[in-house]
Amino acid sequence: MNDLLTDPVFWHRLQFAFTVTYHYLFPQLTMGLAWFIVFFKWRALRTGEERYQKAARLWTRVFGLTFAVGVVTGIPMEFQFGTNWGGFVKYAGGVIGQTLAMEGMIAFFLESAFIGVLLYGERRLSPRLHLLAAVGLATGSWLSGYFILVTNAFMQHPVGHAVGDDGKLYLNDLGAYLTNPWAFVEFAHNQTAALVTGAFAVAALGAFYTLADRSREQASLYLRCGTITGLVAALLVAFPTGDAQAKMVARHQEVVLAAMEGRFESGPMAEITLIGQPNVAERRIDNPVKLPGALSFLAYGTFHSEVRGLDAFPREQWPDNIELLYYSFHIMAGLGTVFIALMALANVQRIRRRLESSRWLLWALMLAFPFPFIANTVGWMTAELGRQPWLVYGLFRTREGASCAVSQGNIVFTLIGFCGLYFVLGVLYLVLVGREIGRGPDLQEVAHG
Amino acid sequence: MVELWFAIFWLMVITWLVLDGRTLGMGALRLFVAANPDERRQVLDAIGPMWSWYEVWLVGAGGVLLLAFPAVLAAAFSGYYLALFLILWLLILRGIAIELGRHLDHPLWRSFWDLALASSSALLILLFGIALGNVVRGVPIDSNGELPMAFFTDFGVRGQVGLIDWYTLLVGALNLTGFGAHGATFLVSKSTGAVRDRSRVAGRLLWSATAVLGLAVAVATWIVRPDLWTGLWFRPLAIVLLLVAAFGALAIRAGYRAGRDQLAFSGSCTLIVGLLGARAAASFPILLYSTLDPERSVSAYAVASRHHSLVIGLVWWLIAAPIALLWNVLASRSFRGRLGQGPLVPPG
Repeated sequence: MNDLLTDPVFWHRLQFAFTVTYHYLFPQLTMGLAWFIVFFKWRALRTGEERYQKAARLWTRVFGLTFAVGVVTGIPMEFQFGTNWGGFVKYAGGVIGQTLAMEGMIAFFLESAFIGVLLYGERRLSPRLHLLAAVGLATGSWLSGYFILVTNAFMQHPVGHAVGDDGKLYLNDLGAYLTNPWAFVEFAHNQTAALVTGAFAVAALGAFYTLADRSREQASLYLRCGTITGLVAALLVAFPTGDAQAKMVARHQEVVLAAMEGRFESGPMAEITLIGQPNVAERRIDNPVKLPGALSFLAYGTFHSEVRGLDAFPREQWPDNIELLYYSFHIMAGLGTVFIALMALANVQRIRRRLESSRWLLWALMLAFPFPFIANTVGWMTAELGRQPWLVYGLFRTREGASCAVSQGNIVFTLIGFCGLYFVLGVLYLVLVGREIGRGPDLQEVAHG
Repeated sequence: MVELWFAIFWLMVITWLVLDGRTLGMGALRLFVAANPDERRQVLDAIGPMWSWYEVWLVGAGGVLLLAFPAVLAAAFSGYYLALFLILWLLILRGIAIELGRHLDHPLWRSFWDLALASSSALLILLFGIALGNVVRGVPIDSNGELPMAFFTDFGVRGQVGLIDWYTLLVGALNLTGFGAHGATFLVSKSTGAVRDRSRVAGRLLWSATAVLGLAVAVATWIVRPDLWTGLWFRPLAIVLLLVAAFGALAIRAGYRAGRDQLAFSGSCTLIVGLLGARAAASFPILLYSTLDPERSVSAYAVASRHHSLVIGLVWWLIAAPIALLWNVLASRSFRGRLGQGPLVPPG
C-alpha cells in the first residue's frame, strides 16, 4: 500500500478518474435531456398547447444549469492530457489530437453558440428558430460525445494508425479511425444510456409533482414521456447495444471479458455468475450463483463455445484490479435489468391509468433517478478498468503515459483542490436545480426573455 | 505545412484573446464602472450569452496544439503543472460566476458572485499575461526536454527561471491594463448612460497606462530577448503586423476623440491582433525558447506531427472553422445592438 501512495501514476489515474467521473455526471444528463427539450418545443410548435411550452421552459432551465457545470468541469479534462498524461500525448497525440481538436472545432462551437440562444432568446426569436437552436444544441452535444468516444475507442481498439520511425503513433487513415467499429457500438451503448438518465430524471420529477399534488398536468406529461422513453432506452441499452459491446470485448479483449465475469478457468459451456465474490488470490469465485452456458451464448452465439478464462493469459496482461472491474460490470448489468423491470411496470400501470394513483410506484420512480448515474459510472469503470494495464490497448501501457516531470505531491495537491471545488460546485448545482423544481413549471412570467 | 499549423495555432490563441480578453476585461472592470445592481446587470448582459463560445477558442487552441505539436503541449503543461491548475480553477470560478450568479435575486448572493467574477477575471488576465511573458522570456528546458518549473526562483530572467520574475510580472501588468482597456472600449460601444460614461473614463486611463507599460515591455524585451527584436526586421510579415498594430492604436485614439465607439473598439481588436501576431511571426519557428541553452529550444519543425496527419487536420479544419463562425453569426444576431434600459436576462 505504501508503494501505491508514493507512486505518482496511481495519483495521476485517481485524479483523472475523479475529474472525469464527476464531469460525466453532467453531460449524460444534458445529452439525455436535450432531445426531450427538442420534443417538447416541437410539440408546442405543432399543437400550440401551452403545456408543452411550459415543459420546455422548465427543462431548459434545468438543462442550462447542468450544461454550465458540464462546461466548467469539462475544460480541465482536455488540459489534463497535457498536465498529467504527457507521455501519452507524446506517443499518440498525432492520432487522438485529431478528434480532440474536432470536438472543439465542430461540436463545442456549435453547442456554445446556441446555448445562449436557447436560454435567453425565447422572446427574441420566432418559435421555429428557437426550436432550431435546441436542435443545434442537442446535435452539438451528441457530436461532442461521438468525438470523445472515437478517442476512447482508439484507446480500447486502436485502428487507422501507423507506427513511425521514432516509435510514435501517427494517423494513417482518418476514415478508419472515425469509423472504428468499437466507436459505433460504444456510441450507441453510451448515448442510449444517457437517454436513460434523462428519462429517469423526467419521470422522477413527474412522480415528485404527482406525489406533492402540484402541477398535475405537467406531472402526467413528464410521467408519460419519461416512462415511455425510459423503457425504450433501457431496453436498447441492454439489447442490441450492450450485447454488441460485450461481443466486441469478447472478440478484441478476451482477457477483459474473463476478468469482468470473474472467469478464472477456460472451457466450453461457460457460465455467467449472477452473484458471487471474485477471490483473485485463490483464483475462484466465492459463493457463486451461476447460469451455465450463458456466457458462451452471449459472447459467441452458441452454448458450447469455448470461453477462455484468465488462466489462458499471462498475469501481466490481466486487468490490474479484477475485483473492482468484476463488481462494476455486475452492478451495471444488475441495475440495467432493474431499470427495464421498473419502467415496464410503470408503463403497464400507466396504460391501465393506474400510475398516478400507485403511490409506491411513484415513490420508486422518484427515488430511482440517481441510479442511472451510478449505472453510467460503473459502466465507464468497466470500460476503463478493463483496459488496464494498457493505455492504448495492446500497444502502450498506462505507466508509460504519465507526465514524468510532475511530482506526486503536486498531484495530491491538485486532486484535493478538485475535491473541494467540485464539492462546492455540486452543492450549488443541487441548490439551484432544487430551486427551479420548487418554482415549478407553472411560473407565470417567461423566465428568460 | 508546419508553417501553416504554427499560424493556425497562433491565430486561434489571438482570436481567443481578442474575444475572451474583452469578456475578462469587462469582468475585471465591472465593479468600477457599474455602481448599482441595474448597471452591473448591464455589464453582465454585455458579457453576454456568447461568452462560452469565446472560451471555446482556448479549448480549440489546446486541441490544435495537441494535434499539430503534441510534444510541446506535453512538456509545457506538465512543466507549468500548478500554474495551469490555478488557471483551470479560475476559469471554473469565472464560468459559474457568470452562469449561476444570476439565478438568485438576493443582494448578498449577487455581491458574492460580483466579487468572484471580478477577482477571477482580473487574476486570469494577470496569469495569462505572466504566461505570455514566460513564452517570450523562455523556459528552463532541461536535457530531457522537460521543463519542471517553480513559481519563482531569483526573479531573474536567465538560467533557472521561475513562473514569476520582474519581466513576466511586467507583461502581466501590461496585460491587465491592456485587456482592461479592451473591455472598457467594448463597453463604451455596447452600454448606455452612466456605465458608458464611466467606461469612457476608465478606457482613457487604461489606454494611457497601457501605452506607458507597453513602452516599458518593449525596452525590457530588448534586454531579455534581443534576438526577437533583431529578428523582427528580417520578417516582412512581422513588420506589416506591427504597422497594423500602430494603425489600431491610431484608430483607438481617433475613436475616443470623435466619440465613434465602434471605431475605437475595432482599433482595440486591431492593436491586439497586430502586436501578438508580430510577436508570433518574429518567434517562428521556435515554440518554446530555452533559457538554459538556446540549442535546446523547441522548434515547430522538430515537434510537428507527421506531414500526413497535418494535411488531414488542415482539410477538416478549413471546413470546420468557417462553420464555427457561421454558428456565431447566426446565434449572435438575436443579441445585436446597444443594451438599453431593460435587462437582457430578467432576474432569477
